[in-house]
Amino acid sequence: MFKNYFKTAFRTLLRNKTYGIINIAGLSIGIAACLLLFMVIRYELSYDKFQPNYSNIYNIVTKDTYSDGVDYTPGVPYPALNAFRQDLPELKTGAIYCNYGCQVTITKNSTDTKFLEEMGVFFADPEFFEIFKCKWLIGSEKLLNVPNTISLTKKTAEKYFGEWKTAIGKYIKMDNLLTLQVSGILEDVPANTDFPIRMVGSFKTLQDNPVYGYSTEWGHTTSNFQVYTLLPNNITKKNIENQLRLLAKKYYKNQNGEERINELRALSDMHFDVAIGNLGTHTISRTSLTTLSFIGFLIILMACINFINLSTAQAVGRSKEVGVRKVLGGRRMQLFWQMLGETKIIVLIAASFALIIAQFATPYIKHVISIQEELSIFTLESMLFFILIIITVTLLAGIYPSLILSGFKPVIALKNKINSTTIGGISLRRGLVVVQFAISQILIIGTIVSVSQMNFIKTADLGFNKEATLLLYGSTDSVVLSKQNAFKESLLQIPGVKLVSYNSDAPSSDNNWGSNFAFDHKPDEKFSVFLKAVDENYYNTFGLEFIAGETYTKADSAKKVVINETLLNKLNIKNAHEALGKPIRTGGQKWKTICGVVKDFKTNSLRDEIKPIILFPNKMHYNKTAVKLHSANILQTQKAIQQQWEKFFPENVYAGFFMDELIEDFYQQETQMALLYKLFAGLAIFISCLGLYGLISFMAVQKTKEVGIRKVLGASVSSIVYLFSKEFTLLIGIAFLIAAPLAWYFMNEWLQSFVFRVNIGIGVFIVAILTSMCVAFIAVGYKAIRAAIANPVKSLRTE
Amino acid sequence: MIELKNIFKWVNQGANKTFLLRDINLTINEGELISIMGPSGSGKSTLLNVIGMLDGFDEGEYSFMGNSVKGLKEKQRSQLYKEHIGFVFQAYHLIDELTVFENIETPLLYQDMKSSERKALVADVLDRFNIVGKKDLFPTQLSGGQQQLVGIARALIGKPKLLLADEPTGNLNSKQGEEIMELFKKLNKEDGVTIIQVTHSEKNAEYGSRIINLLDGRIEK
Repeated sequence: MFKNYFKTAFRTLLRNKTYGIINIAGLSIGIAACLLLFMVIRYELSYDKFQPNYSNIYNIVTKDTYSDGVDYTPGVPYPALNAFRQDLPELKTGAIYCNYGCQVTITKNSTDTKFLEEMGVFFADPEFFEIFKCKWLIGSEKLLNVPNTISLTKKTAEKYFGEWKTAIGKYIKMDNLLTLQVSGILEDVPANTDFPIRMVGSFKTLQDNPVYGYSTEWGHTTSNFQVYTLLPNNITKKNIENQLRLLAKKYYKNQNGEERINELRALSDMHFDVAIGNLGTHTISRTSLTTLSFIGFLIILMACINFINLSTAQAVGRSKEVGVRKVLGGRRMQLFWQMLGETKIIVLIAASFALIIAQFATPYIKHVISIQEELSIFTLESMLFFILIIITVTLLAGIYPSLILSGFKPVIALKNKINSTTIGGISLRRGLVVVQFAISQILIIGTIVSVSQMNFIKTADLGFNKEATLLLYGSTDSVVLSKQNAFKESLLQIPGVKLVSYNSDAPSSDNNWGSNFAFDHKPDEKFSVFLKAVDENYYNTFGLEFIAGETYTKADSAKKVVINETLLNKLNIKNAHEALGKPIRTGGQKWKTICGVVKDFKTNSLRDEIKPIILFPNKMHYNKTAVKLHSANILQTQKAIQQQWEKFFPENVYAGFFMDELIEDFYQQETQMALLYKLFAGLAIFISCLGLYGLISFMAVQKTKEVGIRKVLGASVSSIVYLFSKEFTLLIGIAFLIAAPLAWYFMNEWLQSFVFRVNIGIGVFIVAILTSMCVAFIAVGYKAIRAAIANPVKSLRTE
Repeated sequence: MIELKNIFKWVNQGANKTFLLRDINLTINEGELISIMGPSGSGKSTLLNVIGMLDGFDEGEYSFMGNSVKGLKEKQRSQLYKEHIGFVFQAYHLIDELTVFENIETPLLYQDMKSSERKALVADVLDRFNIVGKKDLFPTQLSGGQQQLVGIARALIGKPKLLLADEPTGNLNSKQGEEIMELFKKLNKEDGVTIIQVTHSEKNAEYGSRIINLLDGRIEK
């Protein structure tokens, strides 16, 4: 019996190629998209789950409450580590220091090989690795107590020394400052971790070398120094947080209106904590993941709606077969299973195509979301999900049409009296079309808004000039510092170079170097300022505008500072000129004089507000060189700069980046999300177009006779096209009424996460409805014109 | 075999009842070949559908092989016609997606017969109807007469006691029609199949042992 059904199914499919192709194309794209999204979401959710203590690990974060807000940092003051260990002996507490990148020099046969490590350089204590499990191939976490030693992962060791076993006992030079002996080898960490360790220096090394900023002061906090703790099962988070509150009273000098306490942040939240961030490559908000799953659901829903619409459309054509089968003795249930079986065959065909599509799209998706790890759709979980999709889609798409078809009365079916009205469910189909239009309009609006927000950010006026500016990353050891003047002179000799400025930080960056400060001999203010050490040429190089005063000169070094408008406003100074000449000091150091106020520029990403800033000259912090170039022959100039660099600083790797690239990296995550939204929203829209085309075909079948009669009575082609488009225009209108407010609400919510954002203009909505209309009219037009020019003699012939 | 007593069937059109069948009284014995005649709209097909249990009726008594049809549930009714009745249609109603062989096989599928048995039965019928050479063709590749032959073969595969034919020759030319009628006659004589046919043609009606004339849903005496 099943053989007979399969044959019928395949032959029906072959006979109705258009329907078949639309169904299979829609479903296979839909299933492939779901599979890919599942893979991505699954991967993001898997971060650090391989840690055996995953659900019991917490990060001790610092929460500062100011008069005007709350600030979290994932770090704690250095002495807090011992305080936690003393006061909370029931917990295991470990520390890790993230140095992000460094330069590594390997000396072999008296030749130096330099490596620039952009990430993965850590210092940690042994307890850290008692909390976070990692396999030691040689040595153990005990090594992290030994000064001047470092442990490498297998891959890093192979990169430096060829064979990892031979690395033991060799020396590496970090940042031209430390010479460390390799004493342990770690197994490579998986890619789905927010602790992407490539090398880990002993904690003792960190403590012994002040260059990394280790300090026993309680006032110093950096997000690079983080403490993790392992909660035993019988102790609750709340319990510990209460104890941490007591601890804060003991160690922090909390004053009125300003309070510092420590809280616990679960490891299981860290990958999704966009606000505080983590030590890994990226965070992704749970909202983004929900949005992506939702888009996946919509895509598959659209494909199912297509299927339902097209199947009921085909039902007229198949009524005869159902009638015959019933007369020959088929029962309703048998026919129901036959029809559902056919759906299943189509879904299975689509699913096999989906696997192929997903397989080919995987590298592209990996590229879009920059996942380095081997990702595969052929994992047990993905395959279970795949089977689940097949079953769900079969049921979702198949049940209704199968019920309709198997329910035909044979006498009526055989007399060809079945038409769309007797099938019923016209309102259901209309409803489905409205749903489809509404979904695609929401997606169109959402995509336009998010893309324009991304573009707004990319092209927004940052308040400084980032064009043709090269930023060279260097270091601040005494050798480098001593050569800085000569290097600058030689750069200015290069014809393409306009200006050179030494500084600690670009105008816009992730860097948050903060400090307490006092103004005009008053006590410390209730809020922090942020610091950038920059030389006198910084303002010209980045085109920063002064609203009062001017820059300091080279001779003023260490006496004068420049502040920004935001700081001025926060200090409640109305006229910028009033601030000039006033004393200001940071962190209890010497008083300095304000010599200028610069117009606000964006100090961080556009997600954040502009921060109060003090810009001051201090050679010790000049680890970056900004070079402003003439726009002609940029590549040549860049090469010349690199040559100079290598001549002056042979011990430092050349690392030069253009400002606009750096800014773009800033918004990498937004760009990626925008791309994902665009991609999958595009797919959803495409699937709805397919469905619409199918539905119009259905209408054309349904109206064949009507069109024939009208033509015999003298109707023109255009009046027939109008007949077709009338109803769809109405449906699009209804869909728009549903979609527009929903889309506005969702996108408005989303935009709230940006401090600087676009307005959702009326134009977006017009574009959405026009796009729907266009799609509809293209689909309608073709079918309608075909129906209109068909020979009425054919359409009116019965039997 | 079939006993119809005071059968009425109507549809409501607004406030009025339009009668499709009025007071039909008819007894048909096994082995008869009956022709139902009448002008368009006189209720021939309706009567045939009622007899075939494809359609219900509103009033009266119908007993089929001793079973009162009125009280039967849909399932029992379909069980009854599945076992005992074969249908032949004017438009043949073959399933376009299936070959001749598969079309004939279909009723057996619904009787849950084993594959080997089905094959034997179908082969037998193909042989009897001289269409062995056509078994792998699709309906659209056959002439009308051949299609109707397949239709009849399919109706007979389940060895029904009663064959209902709704204008079986209506779409055929006279020569093909004649062949079909000869076949009916043969089936009736040799195999003892009771046949009820609806026809427009006087000539074809002559093949029957009895002719029933219908007018406006009533049997004309």
